Order: sequence, then structure tokens, then C-alpha cells
Amino acid sequence: MAKTELRKNVKTEVEDRSSLKGTLASVFLLGFFLIVSWVGVFFLFLDRF
Amino acid sequence: MINSADKLKVDRRDGKLVMAQIYVAFIALLIGGLAGLLQVLVRSGRFELPAGIGYYQILTVHGVVLGLVLTTFFIMGFMQACVSKTAGTFTTKQRTIAWIGFWLMTIGTVMAAVMILLNEASVLYTFYAPLQAHFLFYLGLTLVVVGSWLGSAAIIMKYAEWRRANPGTPSPLLTFMALVNVLMWIVATLGVAATVLIQLLPWSLGLVETVNVGVSRTLFWYFGHPLVYFWLLPAYMAWYVIIPKIIGGKIFSDSLARMSFILFLLFSIPVGFHHQLLEPGIDAAWKFLQVVLTFLVVIPSLMTAFSLFATFETFGRSKGAKGLFGWFKMLPWGDARFAVPFIGMLSFIPAGAGGLINASNQMNQVVHNTIWVTGHFHLTLATAVVLTFFGITFWLVPHLTGRVLTKAINKLALIQGVLWAIGMTFMSGAMHAAGLLGAPRRSAFSEYGGAPQAAEWIPYQVAQAVGGSILFLAIILMLYIFVNLAFFAPKGEEEFPIGEMSTHAEPAPMVFENWKIWMGITVLLILFAYTIPFIDLIQNAPPGSKGYNNLW
Repeated sequence: MAKTELRKNVKTEVEDRSSLKGTLASVFLLGFFLIVSWVGVFFLFLDRF
Repeated sequence: MINSADKLKVDRRDGKLVMAQIYVAFIALLIGGLAGLLQVLVRSGRFELPAGIGYYQILTVHGVVLGLVLTTFFIMGFMQACVSKTAGTFTTKQRTIAWIGFWLMTIGTVMAAVMILLNEASVLYTFYAPLQAHFLFYLGLTLVVVGSWLGSAAIIMKYAEWRRANPGTPSPLLTFMALVNVLMWIVATLGVAATVLIQLLPWSLGLVETVNVGVSRTLFWYFGHPLVYFWLLPAYMAWYVIIPKIIGGKIFSDSLARMSFILFLLFSIPVGFHHQLLEPGIDAAWKFLQVVLTFLVVIPSLMTAFSLFATFETFGRSKGAKGLFGWFKMLPWGDARFAVPFIGMLSFIPAGAGGLINASNQMNQVVHNTIWVTGHFHLTLATAVVLTFFGITFWLVPHLTGRVLTKAINKLALIQGVLWAIGMTFMSGAMHAAGLLGAPRRSAFSEYGGAPQAAEWIPYQVAQAVGGSILFLAIILMLYIFVNLAFFAPKGEEEFPIGEMSTHAEPAPMVFENWKIWMGITVLLILFAYTIPFIDLIQNAPPGSKGYNNLW
């Protein structure tokens, strides 16, 4: 006798071990830091020269 | 290329060669570090040098001994260790050539050091004409360069031998990387050899009256910029190949690592003008071209950053890390072989940001010749590179001397790294800030006749002295660790960590080993970037300058 599927869709959270989303976030943060420092000194440049 | 040979230790005879170079590097650290401490104390305005010692003499000692001696000796030793380990023990002929190189470098170093100590060569680390040193100083530097060519020759010969024995196979990654670095070094040092042999030596001997200053500075920077990559690439060797093994992960991508090293070979040389953006005699269009090429070198550094993040994340997730940054906590923070170089990697982020600003053509006017620049290269060389070299020392020295890194020394090494980070945050941070307020680099303490602008710099100079003193403590601690690892640590086997490729990795394409292509493009780019500017500098030169020596 076939069992009725009673369990609702239990979330099977499979953490993807090959995920590189942290790397993506890290390089974005790095890029953001580079741009902010550059723009900071650029405005100093505009102000002075 | 991981095979059973990698289980073996570096051959004892090669180990002696490597250790000889590392001893000189650490003696240099002591002398150069002491000079650095005296410098920051003088610049705080609260201390004067005793016994008639000059500030610029100390400055020259610091720059030459740390920037040229420590780096060249350590790098040659480390690269030879990597090649001996991954491509096989040097033959007697190769090792003899490397030993002759070591002795030439050492004799040259002693000659230059004696002249500096006699105050006959207080020409600062850049030895810009028309400041003129005693000819023995230039001859000494020539011997250092020629000696390093012989050390490089041993690496090239070993590589060629390996390729002959293993046709159609990519060379071991560390050997490949060492080869790229020595090829870049040889091409780059041709510039400094040219200015020293053709211009500065005959001029200091009195054979010619005057020197073409523009040409000598351009030849210096043709060498000077790839010099900084010659320091950095060995650190990248450790970051790409050694760190993954230490943390217990895999190399993210062998091919990406090779590609980034090739890009460094191509783009790190034709970029010297970004150090000369405010100099007359070079057309703005050529400066702009080299600025563009400079920004191309950013690409391999960003590739490196990506690759390291990916190595760390992949490792962390394999250990079950969750969330966006959970992998960060999984890294072995208690292991100095990882944690100390990691501080170096972290410092490379503000260092890189500063570098982009320095090289941005007109924006260079904000920071040119200010102490901002000194702050910048104390993050790149004196933190990112040096802390990585210390991290290498923690396993390489005991590996070669048949000892082990004990838990107690590992703890001291962690303290050393943290002290360095604190000291450098104060010193380099204050340098960056004072630089933006216009404080000059190089010059000794002065109140500039009571100028209000100069008064603004003094608190930052005190902060530099505080940071510099903490750094000196860190240097003493490092020397203690080094002496322990070389002579006193318990006998045992310390691993030479070499990362492995992930199992699904494709072998690296053989095109990376085609040196006709890469050296061909390197030479073409150099000719393109430098030929017309040199013709201009020579044809339209102002009258040459006589030498100025013993100014202070």
C-alpha cells in the first residue's frame, strides 16, 4: 500500500559547498573601498588645483 | 605537479645556500630597523642624532639595507628553496654559480655599506643624480646586481633542465613563478646597470664632468617599478601556493596563478613614468600612455585578491561553514604561518588603494614627494611583503635547519604580527594623513621658519615615532624568533607546505611556458613605451649637471 505523502515540503537546505557568494561579496567590498578612497583624494585634488 | 619527490626535504647543500642568504637578510633587518627607529625619532623633533651622525646618512642606511639588501637576499634564497624543492636539487654547477652570486652580492653589500657609514654615499635609497656618491658605492651596487643575476641563472638553468626532462608537461607552479620573477628582474636591472655603468660610475670617478639627470632618473625608474614587483611576486608565490596548504585547502586555480604572473611580467616594466609624473623633459602623452599601462597591472593584483578570497571560502565551506562570511571564522587563526601573512594581505588593500591614487596622472600632484608615498610603501613592502616573508621564515628556516616551530614560538610569532600591525597602523596612517596635509618625505625635522602649515604636521610626526618604536620592538621579537628557529629550536621535521590542485582542475595550458611569446611582448611593450621618450631626453637635454657630494 502506497503511503500517502503527509510531509509538507520540508525545506531541504543543501548548503552548496562550491558556492562563491562570499567571494563575490568580498571583491565588491574591496572594489567599493578602492573607489571611495580614490574619489576622496580626487575631490581633494579638485579643491586644491 | 605533486609527486613523491615533494615529500622530500630540500637538499642539505641547497639548504645551506638558502640559509646563507637568509642570514644576511636578517642582519640587514637589524641594522635597517635601527636606522628606521632613529629616523622616526629625529622627525618627531624631540631627539637629535649623537656623534655627528647625519639624518640623511641614516635615511640611506634604512632604504638601501632594507629596500635593496634584505629583499634581494631573502627573495633569492626563498626562490632557490622553492625551485630546489619542486624542480629538484641543484646540480653542483648550478649551486656553484649561485654561491658565486651570493658572495658577489655580499661583497657588494659590504662595499656600499662601508661607503654609507663613512658618509661618502648619503645619496638616499634612490641615489638620484646630481647627488654623487663615492664610486665604491656604485661599484658595490653593481656587484649586488651582478650577483643576483648569477643566482637567477641557477634558477633558469634548473628550469631548462626540468623542461628537457619533462617534455610537454607544465613546470611545477612554484618553479614557474620563480622563473617569471627572475626574468622580470633581469630585464629590469638592465636599466639600473645602464645608468650606473654608463653614467654614474664614470662621473663619480671624474672621467666625465657632468651627468644627464633626466636620463639617469628615467633609467632608475625603468628599474624601480619592476623592483617593487620583484618584492611582491615572492609574496604572491606564498599566497597562491603555500597558504592554501597551510590552511588545509586547495589551490583555487593553477592557470589563473600562471596567467597573473605572466601579466606582471608584461606590464610591470613599461610603467616607470608614473614615478616621474611631475618631472620635466618627458612629454605628457608618453606619461599618459604609461599611466594606462600602470592601470593594467591592477588586473593581476585583483585576480590575486579574487583567487585568495575563493581559496579561503572554498576551504571554509568544505568544513561546513554557512552564510555569506561564515568561512572567515574557519581559517586557522592560531597558526602564525597563516595569520602573519594574512595581516600582510589585509594591508595590501589600503596599499593598493593608495597605489591607484599615486598613479592617477594629475592626481599625483596631491601626494607627490609627500610622506604619503612613504606611508604607501610601508604598507606594500614593509607590511604586505615583509610579513609574508616572516610567515615564510616560520617554516622555511626550521625546515632547512632540521628543527621545528614550537607552540611557544608560534605564539610569539602571532604577537609579533599583531605588534607589527599596530605599529604600522600608527606610523603609516600618520604618514598618509600628514602627506595629504603636504608634509614632505625624505627631509629631516624642521619647523620651516615657524610656518603654520608645518606646525600641523608635528602631531602626526609624533604619532609616526610612536608607531616606529612599536615596529622596532616587533623587529627585535622577530630577530629573537629567527635566532631560535635557526639555532635553538628542538630538532625535528618541519613541513615545506606546497598546495595541491583541486581534483577536477585542468592542467595548465602549455602556452604559458612559451617564453618566445611572453618575452617578445615584454620587449615590444618596453620599446614602445620608452624609445621616443629616451630620444627626446637625450636630444633635447639641458646642460649636464656636475656632481654634488658631502652636502651633509
